[in-house]
Amino acid sequence: MSEEDSDYGDCSDDEMDDDDDDDVYGDYYKHEEVEMENKKDDPEYFEFQLLKVEDVDRLLNENVEALSRAINVTPSLAKVLLHSHKWSVQDVIDLHKKDSLKLLVDSRVLPSVKCTERVLSRNFICSVCMQPSLADALCGVSCGHRFCRECWQMHFQVQIQNGVSTELECMGKDCNVLMPEDFVLSIVTNPRLRDKYQEYGFQDHVKSHPELRFCPGPNCPVVIRAPVDKAKRVVCDQCKTCFCFHCGLEYHAPTGCETIKRWLTKCADDSETANYISAHTKDCPKCNVCIEKNGGCNHMQCAKCKHDFCWMCLGDWKNHGSEYYECSRYKENPNIANESAHAQAREALKKYLFYFERWENHAKSLKLEEQAMKKIRARIEEKVMDSSGTWIDWQYLLDSAMLLKKCRYTLQYTYPYAYYLEKGSRKELFEYQQATLEAEVENLSWKVERAEITDRGVRVG
Amino acid sequence: MANIATARIKREFKEVVKSEEVAKCNIKLELKNDSFTELRGEIAGPPDTPYEGGNFILDIQIPATYPFNPPVVKFVTKIWHPNISSVTGAVCLDILKDQWWVTSVFDYICLSFQALLAAPEPDDPQDAVVANQYKESKDEFKNTARHWTYAYAGRPTASAEYDSKVEQLKNMGFDEHKARVALSTKHWIVEQAMEHILS
Repeated sequence: MSEEDSDYGDCSDDEMDDDDDDDVYGDYYKHEEVEMENKKDDPEYFEFQLLKVEDVDRLLNENVEALSRAINVTPSLAKVLLHSHKWSVQDVIDLHKKDSLKLLVDSRVLPSVKCTERVLSRNFICSVCMQPSLADALCGVSCGHRFCRECWQMHFQVQIQNGVSTELECMGKDCNVLMPEDFVLSIVTNPRLRDKYQEYGFQDHVKSHPELRFCPGPNCPVVIRAPVDKAKRVVCDQCKTCFCFHCGLEYHAPTGCETIKRWLTKCADDSETANYISAHTKDCPKCNVCIEKNGGCNHMQCAKCKHDFCWMCLGDWKNHGSEYYECSRYKENPNIANESAHAQAREALKKYLFYFERWENHAKSLKLEEQAMKKIRARIEEKVMDSSGTWIDWQYLLDSAMLLKKCRYTLQYTYPYAYYLEKGSRKELFEYQQATLEAEVENLSWKVERAEITDRGVRVG
Repeated sequence: MANIATARIKREFKEVVKSEEVAKCNIKLELKNDSFTELRGEIAGPPDTPYEGGNFILDIQIPATYPFNPPVVKFVTKIWHPNISSVTGAVCLDILKDQWWVTSVFDYICLSFQALLAAPEPDDPQDAVVANQYKESKDEFKNTARHWTYAYAGRPTASAEYDSKVEQLKNMGFDEHKARVALSTKHWIVEQAMEHILS
């Protein structure tokens, strides 16, 4: 205890090497640096930012302004163009240089075929409400379809109430031209409807932006921005939700996005019930009713049709004589009991349950982790009060508990991965590593629970 | 905003009445009241379908947001069809959901409903029993639908076999419509139909 300052902390070897420097502050900064380096070494490290709605607005608007200046279009049209091109200003500019007409038609800013039925608008009749109208009261966008303001207003209202915003189309027959924001806002006057329109538009824009994701936490307004779209861990500092940036599900390394989806649906749906039925039941060979054997001997009598048969070979019991507890036909050829379907189902169920139990078990342990943390904090307090070691001496326990939590989390998600791995050396290696991690985690867990000394300078686990 | 709806329906009516297409499509539309919100329609079963020879009455409600939302249509005449409920007459119809405001009620009924009678979509069913039958035994479906057209929509000829089975159950004291539903559901096997009614 007396040499507290010389071997301070359970620091890594690299840090120890740098310790010749006596400058206290230098030491502090070096510690930071090492941490940064560790982050880069950490294969799970992922760069991301947490943004507020205003930040996202600013980000999107910067893109809109840049594009609108570069190719000289209104900001509203720039928004339509960016929305349909994953918000890449450069892509839009390149496409614009190549073939501006094609770009505008593809992005549904211009119609593929110009409107030909202008007859109605010349007659000053809006073709939706069929009311005569003053020529200048009819309006529309690039496609040439003209309708009266009341009809546009009603159209927008109905559509916005259905949650449509960036996909608002022209009312013309077979016209798919999108309504730019400035036109919609010039028609819609109701402030609540305007807000709704802009809110839905914002959501659509975030969804079409490859660098942005809404935090999936309940009612969480945070938007996450990451420079690359990878299946990496993101933690929201508002609601503490930890999720995969790519798919938005709970973070699931080493299992892939597709696999975890399959696994979760498998666990949720009743396909396993069907497997259970197949594994634990057989159909009566006479009336085909489904029978579950819940004990007793192999002499079965169907409750429905009273047919007597042998559970093992499904043959008529009359031919069995007195072999009550064994079916010699089965013994000779175990494959006789129409093996394929039943045996396979049973095998599949066994496999699934093996992985599912371990998956569940880690999930349950993780839920208890909060309590474990509390316990550790209480124990530290107690120890410090007892003046056996300082508060800082005991911090390693918390660090270990954090690490345990991380390991358990990863372990949990190794089971769906292993479940879907094909048999072979890869799977063997994976399961060997998995087993090693399991053993180390249990070892560490055991030690953390029973640690009675501060163990400074000695690594645990 | 209901005035847009009313004005438009009025206008549509003027055009439908003088239109020659009415006769061609075998469609009748008439107002049920003066408020232009409820219409009564009548369509003829298309030729070469089990509905041929029948006349089907429709109940058409015009929403206040018409023409920005489509009219709500229900079959008043009982009909055996995968996309139409044999109990309520409600219709499951996805066609012409978009941009249908450029058409009129008349076009809507003419184009989509007659098309639906001619070509059911069993993969998007409203009536699961009918849809199943349609998929599993086309002939049984056709015969059943034809029988319903005879019983409810005024088709002149009938299948003597089906008719006598309905009659048989009726004579036992069962309600005629219930007997027909049960027989249609249970492959026209009288014993199973009876069990179905009694269960």
